[in-house]
Amino acid sequence: MRDEVRMRTIGPRSNWKNGPTNKIAFFIQNCEETMFGWKGNILRVDLTNGATHVEEMPAYLMKEYIGGRGMAIRILFDEIDPAIDALSPENKLIFATGPLAGTGAPAASRFVVSAKSPLSNCIANPVCGGYFAINLKEAGFDLIIVEGKAPNPVYLEIENERVFIRPAEHLWGMTCSEVEQTIKKNMKDRLDEWQQDLLSVVSIGPAGENLVRFACVMADGGRAAGRSGMGAVMGSKNLKALTALGTGDVAVADPDGFRKAITQFYRENKPAMDKRRNDGTWYLPGRANASKSQATLNFRSGYSAEFAKYEDVEVIRQAIRVRDEACASCPFACGKRSRIKDPAYPLTAKGPEHETMALLGTNCGIYDIEDICRANYLCNELGMDTITTGCVISCAMEMYEEGYLPEKDLGFPLPFGSLNTFQLLKQVAFRQGIGDLMAKGGMPLAAHYGHPELYMGIKGLGIPAWHPQAFDALGLQYATNNVGAGHTKSTMPFYEGRKDPAGYVEWTKKDQDYVATVDSAVMCWIIFHGPQWGDKLAEWLSIITGKAHTVEGLNYLGERIWNLERLFNLRAGLTRADDSLPPRITQEPRVKNRVVDLERLLDDYYRRRGWDENGVPTRETLKALNLQNEGAGVV
Amino acid sequence: MRIKIDHTLCTGCKQCEFACALAHAGKANPWRSRIRVFIEEDFCLPVIAGPYTEASCNSKGIVMVDGVEVNECVTCRASCPVKAVYKEPDTGIPLKCDFCGDPPDPQCVQWCAPEALKLVED
Repeated sequence: MRDEVRMRTIGPRSNWKNGPTNKIAFFIQNCEETMFGWKGNILRVDLTNGATHVEEMPAYLMKEYIGGRGMAIRILFDEIDPAIDALSPENKLIFATGPLAGTGAPAASRFVVSAKSPLSNCIANPVCGGYFAINLKEAGFDLIIVEGKAPNPVYLEIENERVFIRPAEHLWGMTCSEVEQTIKKNMKDRLDEWQQDLLSVVSIGPAGENLVRFACVMADGGRAAGRSGMGAVMGSKNLKALTALGTGDVAVADPDGFRKAITQFYRENKPAMDKRRNDGTWYLPGRANASKSQATLNFRSGYSAEFAKYEDVEVIRQAIRVRDEACASCPFACGKRSRIKDPAYPLTAKGPEHETMALLGTNCGIYDIEDICRANYLCNELGMDTITTGCVISCAMEMYEEGYLPEKDLGFPLPFGSLNTFQLLKQVAFRQGIGDLMAKGGMPLAAHYGHPELYMGIKGLGIPAWHPQAFDALGLQYATNNVGAGHTKSTMPFYEGRKDPAGYVEWTKKDQDYVATVDSAVMCWIIFHGPQWGDKLAEWLSIITGKAHTVEGLNYLGERIWNLERLFNLRAGLTRADDSLPPRITQEPRVKNRVVDLERLLDDYYRRRGWDENGVPTRETLKALNLQNEGAGVV
Repeated sequence: MRIKIDHTLCTGCKQCEFACALAHAGKANPWRSRIRVFIEEDFCLPVIAGPYTEASCNSKGIVMVDGVEVNECVTCRASCPVKAVYKEPDTGIPLKCDFCGDPPDPQCVQWCAPEALKLVED
């Protein structure tokens, strides 16, 4: 009886099978382990042939690219031609963790999903929280590279260095939470309650399967690697899901020093943690609305009186909150699980976060928090990026109101605030009716009806919640981000120098380089919010990896990563004309009575970056960054 | 002295597990931890490892937590042959909370930002 039951526990058994069987041999094996913060393994999955290989992590990747985002761009730059079709089998999809994930460093359980984007046709690297990153690390992998295309739907199962490609016909067509539940249910006889609970599932919904170009990758019941359409890339490879469960160690170079440093961090940041846990991102919509900076009615305004009742966080908390929900290792716990009173939607959902409230809420003229929750829930289940989806729908709404988009094409009226939005979301995910056109992105939709200026997007990605006219630097940041209008690729310009033009262009550059290092260490930028946190990041990286990191060194690596991404984009065919803003932002003073003078700012920005007037890095800049060879052909 | 658990405050960040593993094993690995957090949709349950029990239970019950049915195995503190948790992953040696020495200085309590874990005198 006992043995039979014991078979179900993967902990002891799996390690006995592959490793030493007595304590002394185990001790010796551990003494030989020298890699700190890393497992040192890259998993390469060739879906075309159904083969998996484990490769050793090259030392230069760890040294020069920190991790996550940096490693991903290096691998993509080396292995794919940036000019390929993003939805072709030649594109490679990378899931990358960093050296901090799985060590217990606060807010570091994150992974980057990177590939060429089908939406923007440039580099994409959205970051996602949840429990997947620590599970992947504990299972023994730092990085997964997915290549080719499976002939039939499959999912990837990772369990302690054992990797299986399993058929997923039975999962195809399911929504994200159904996939998670089905996979866990099928494992019931192998895993006990605890292991099922710890198993982490990353999946795509019907939107990803149907190659909606802004489909996202969902993890752990509601976390999303949202921007840039990574779900469509996953769908184009017939990869429905990944599961990870691990029981291995992540070694830390100085465990006691690390524990003390983190305890110190806890003491120093207690008030900030308590505030963030209570408010989440829910204090931001109110704050943005009150300062007339929130995306409203397709960016025609920055303020809505109907939304003003949510300026008090407590109102939102009372209305929908179930509990505060953290990603693994995060004491800030900004995530919120929510439930609405409508009996037709009995399920709980993650969020909605600030961006969702603004883009699917005020930007579409929907002001009731329960309606926003329903839209958010649908997007999560179908697997769509709420920000770009919101921008596409608000564009359709404005075209409908202006009479450019006829009702017969839609099948129903769609003025601002219309709850037909829910119907439309499903149509987009399943590509029915007008949804087929909308699934290609906002720009094809707006251009089809002859008004491309009405889609509020940059490089195809919808503009996030803060109106670009709200702060001078914001328009520049959105326009110059390598991925398009990313809300997490530079921290918001809440700093003293934001009114000084000379200050904020320099700040934008510094900030973008800094966020590149944060994304490469795969920390949460909500916590390390701004370059003033650089020394803390360097300290943690040094303690964990045992290799000395300095703020200057990290800034250099950040700039290098940023320039490498730029070179990737240039090879993909991007030009200065793509670093642009919609005419509504540069010509019509909608917020705070000002417009963004982008051309002048761009000249200044390019000069400070060491790029020429077309946004191409000069030879000297690349030489200083040791990227001469990478620049060949475009410089 | 005891560690008081208020599961309604727990956010499921599992930092207690990392603190425990780092303090006792010197490595970051929740499987070496003497406290585990079980995550349900509406709440999280931190459970601290208790004494080892040789035999597995003859019957399993259901516990009601906040109106939700939870398997009794999950709320049980014992390290036992059936469960995957509360064992050293390499050796299978059962683990038990030791309050991080004498006088008690539990690291999980220090790393619990929402104060779901508290060291109390009684």
